[in-house]
Amino acid sequence: MGYMHLGLLDIHEALIKNKVTPLELVLEAIELAKKGTNNCFEYICEKEAIEKAKKLDDSKKDNILYGIPIVVKDNYSTKDIPTTASSNILKDYVPIFSSEVVNRLEEAGAIIIGKTTMDELGMGGSGSAGHLGTTYNPWDKTKTHRIGGSSCGSASAIASGIVPLAIGSDTGDSVRKPASYGASVGLKPTWGRISRFGLFPFAASLDHVGYFTRSVYDSAAILNVLAGRDEKDYSSSFKPVEDYTKKLNEPVAGKRIAVIKEIVDAINDQDILATFKNNLEQLRQRGVVIDFVSIDYKLLKAIYPTYIIVSSAEATSNNANLDGVKFGLREPGKTYEEILKNTRTKGFSKLIKRRFIIGGYSLLKENREELFVRAQKCRRLIVDAFNSVLDKFDAIYCPATPTVAPLISSNLEAFIGDYSIADDYMAFANMGGLPSITLPLGFKDGLPFGGNLTAKAFDESNLFNLAQAIEDSTGLKDLVAKEDE
Amino acid sequence: MEFEAVIGLEIHIELKTKSKMFSSAPVTYGLEPNTQIELYDLGFPGVMPSVNKQAVISAIRVCHALNMKIDDTLMFDRKNYFYSDLSKGYQITQQFRPIGREGHLTIKTFEGEKDIGIERLHLEEDACKQLHYSDYTLIDYNRSGIPLIEIVSKPEIRSGEEAAKYVEKIRSIVTFLDVSNGKMEEGSLRCDTNVSVREKGSSDFGIKVEIKNVNGLTNIQRAIDYEIRRQTEILQKGEIVKEETRRYDENKKITVLMRAKNDPVDYKYFTDANIAPIKLSKEFIQEAISTSPELAEVKKIRYLSMGLNEYDSDLLISDVDLSKYFDEAVRSGANPKLLANWINVNVRASLKRLNISINEFPITPIHLAELIKIIEKGKISNVQARDLFMKMLEKKISPNKILEESDSTQISDMSTIQKLILETISENEKSVIDYKNGNERVVGFIVGQVLKKSAGKANPALTSKLVLEELKRR
Repeated sequence: MGYMHLGLLDIHEALIKNKVTPLELVLEAIELAKKGTNNCFEYICEKEAIEKAKKLDDSKKDNILYGIPIVVKDNYSTKDIPTTASSNILKDYVPIFSSEVVNRLEEAGAIIIGKTTMDELGMGGSGSAGHLGTTYNPWDKTKTHRIGGSSCGSASAIASGIVPLAIGSDTGDSVRKPASYGASVGLKPTWGRISRFGLFPFAASLDHVGYFTRSVYDSAAILNVLAGRDEKDYSSSFKPVEDYTKKLNEPVAGKRIAVIKEIVDAINDQDILATFKNNLEQLRQRGVVIDFVSIDYKLLKAIYPTYIIVSSAEATSNNANLDGVKFGLREPGKTYEEILKNTRTKGFSKLIKRRFIIGGYSLLKENREELFVRAQKCRRLIVDAFNSVLDKFDAIYCPATPTVAPLISSNLEAFIGDYSIADDYMAFANMGGLPSITLPLGFKDGLPFGGNLTAKAFDESNLFNLAQAIEDSTGLKDLVAKEDE
Repeated sequence: MEFEAVIGLEIHIELKTKSKMFSSAPVTYGLEPNTQIELYDLGFPGVMPSVNKQAVISAIRVCHALNMKIDDTLMFDRKNYFYSDLSKGYQITQQFRPIGREGHLTIKTFEGEKDIGIERLHLEEDACKQLHYSDYTLIDYNRSGIPLIEIVSKPEIRSGEEAAKYVEKIRSIVTFLDVSNGKMEEGSLRCDTNVSVREKGSSDFGIKVEIKNVNGLTNIQRAIDYEIRRQTEILQKGEIVKEETRRYDENKKITVLMRAKNDPVDYKYFTDANIAPIKLSKEFIQEAISTSPELAEVKKIRYLSMGLNEYDSDLLISDVDLSKYFDEAVRSGANPKLLANWINVNVRASLKRLNISINEFPITPIHLAELIKIIEKGKISNVQARDLFMKMLEKKISPNKILEESDSTQISDMSTIQKLILETISENEKSVIDYKNGNERVVGFIVGQVLKKSAGKANPALTSKLVLEELKRR
């Protein structure tokens, strides 16, 4: 029994009908979190969560998040709760303020039961690059396949049935890729739709608040809570917030979906292709117009290096506050320069240092034009290409990943050799700030894979409407890989 | 061989806005360290900048005063470097799109008027203040994030005098526009100087030396002139000037080496994505300009039109607070010419004597205006006016009140005074005869005796009037 494997709406109903109390839910989630073997947690907020559950204001009972245990990625500032971004340099850092996302969730009555593991500071998509080591994929009982990252702990926690909502962040595909490997619904809305205040920046121009749910409905309902202008984030949008659940079940007949031919062609897994094409057929039967359209292969090939240059350049600057002076780790030294050098040498992993070197190198005066500025121009071309497709279509739809979760032993940080354009293409939505959602498509050998749907900026309602049609056609929702099964 | 100096100035000016450039922390000087701070100023992970509108308005006003082109899109960039006074590891500035470009300003030197080109004006945030001790350093974040404008001149300045005049003019502009207190001694106006020397007539630049943070106009002039001499001597010997950063030793009156510049820092600039480009509408820019306080030159024209002479006008606009004091007294109805004279003579002398600024002056502009009105009506003599002025300084109350008070202790009752006069004359019968014989000094003598009898309480003006009448009657 228990409730934590259910969707938000089902748990909400049980709460309203007084079948269960927030405290019972919190205790259940904490027990699951403690028993978990997937290395999802940086910190389990046992005391804090129980206290909050006891004091919960039941005038908010109608809110879908009231009394719901949730987890938050460890790069969201949480007042009085350690926040390390899974980096040694922020070991023991306890923020004095909460991020806007956390404030809005708690205001709605949600109870944070834990801070989840991640790839250090959001960099690296393996789920193995945090200071606590590899976070596992609950669907794989052999613990040899990745969950993916960087929001690995959140992806794993929702997939293993610990909580029905897990907050992540998405700079390249950090929510949408692990959602594909973990059979959850992963959303990142339009850039500026949700305040980033208090989210540790990796690359501000690409960073998005994102989250995992178990259904499209839950995803839309949570956007209602999180979306909206925040004075503390100057880049947050003034656009009015819609009720994103309103158009979910409207008919999709006549809507137009573009499938990028080159991306599908780059996928070799016949099972994934067959499932995807089958789903296209199901959508056609609902009256959706589906066209295969082309985008210049060279641009698609450029997405990954462009992403690496832009994000690494911004990352060097965004993490320059970690100097050992004000908070976090401090290694001794006689001068500021010595403290800085010793702290950063010890505090960052090799992967982070490599990214900083790439970023710093591309910003140097002598390389700027050739690397950073060129990457910016390339970013513009990539975004223009995808936007011109979206001019004619409601959404772009492709398999989220070309394979199921890869082996943990595979090397993802090798910047040499060939790479598939289907591997990291989802970063186009970060470059353009476009709303993008991954949702389950099927399973292969017990491991899930998802599809990814991306729409025009601020067209979330349309995105959810189409995503709902996909979910209805696959019937895949509320999927949980329980530990003891 | 003849040489000439090429000088460029970078001036940093702290804006006196209510809050900081990108955070809501208040800008208040002289308070306990680390009390005027917000999350942003400490650079905690996840903090984000919000642009201070008043700082933008201030920058637009200064741009306009410097005849600059004002960019209609506001963008900010990051200047990346590590230093203990920099909380985020980068400073937000405007590298690629400064708010102002291509301006100029006219200075007056002994050789006449000269136009100095201005390259750019940009908005940025200040760093922390550091207090270095022998084995530790204290950091005060109160200064972290205070809005700054940086004004970069073109290399068109040729002497220490020109540089000092240029800085003086900029200081006048920012103080009259009320965007900064412009105090060099408090660090709210800081000046970095680039000096190089080249063969006269050459279009190439010599190797430049930077002189950091010279304090005060006199020192700027001296430091530059010293540096020009130093570099010229090196060149005359056929040697090469080293590229370096120097500072000015005020006591020895020389520049001294701070550090060699072998490897200039690469600041790895890029645009800050947290601040989406802000469109500045024509109306917004126009509003900022049209509501801008009066510049010194405009004030001067107004003063001249009031009938003030060149000298008095120049003295008044030499200090924005002095001119504000003058303006307020004029608004209270003082005759401008008479007022200007009083301010420039008596007020300034008192300020000097008391060693205070006009803002600390005990006499309010309204009270001074009252005094001017009393003088203008001829109620009191010059000597009495100065006496009254001194009493105002001391008592800090209105001159009319002082007069009233002294009136109440004075004997103004005619019959009482008349009685004293008759008494005095009967005691000095001879003086009546002297007066009749044409000795006018008798009047003063009798008045003096009467005042003495009254223990100084008899109203002198009234007494002398009555004495005169009595003598004539005899």
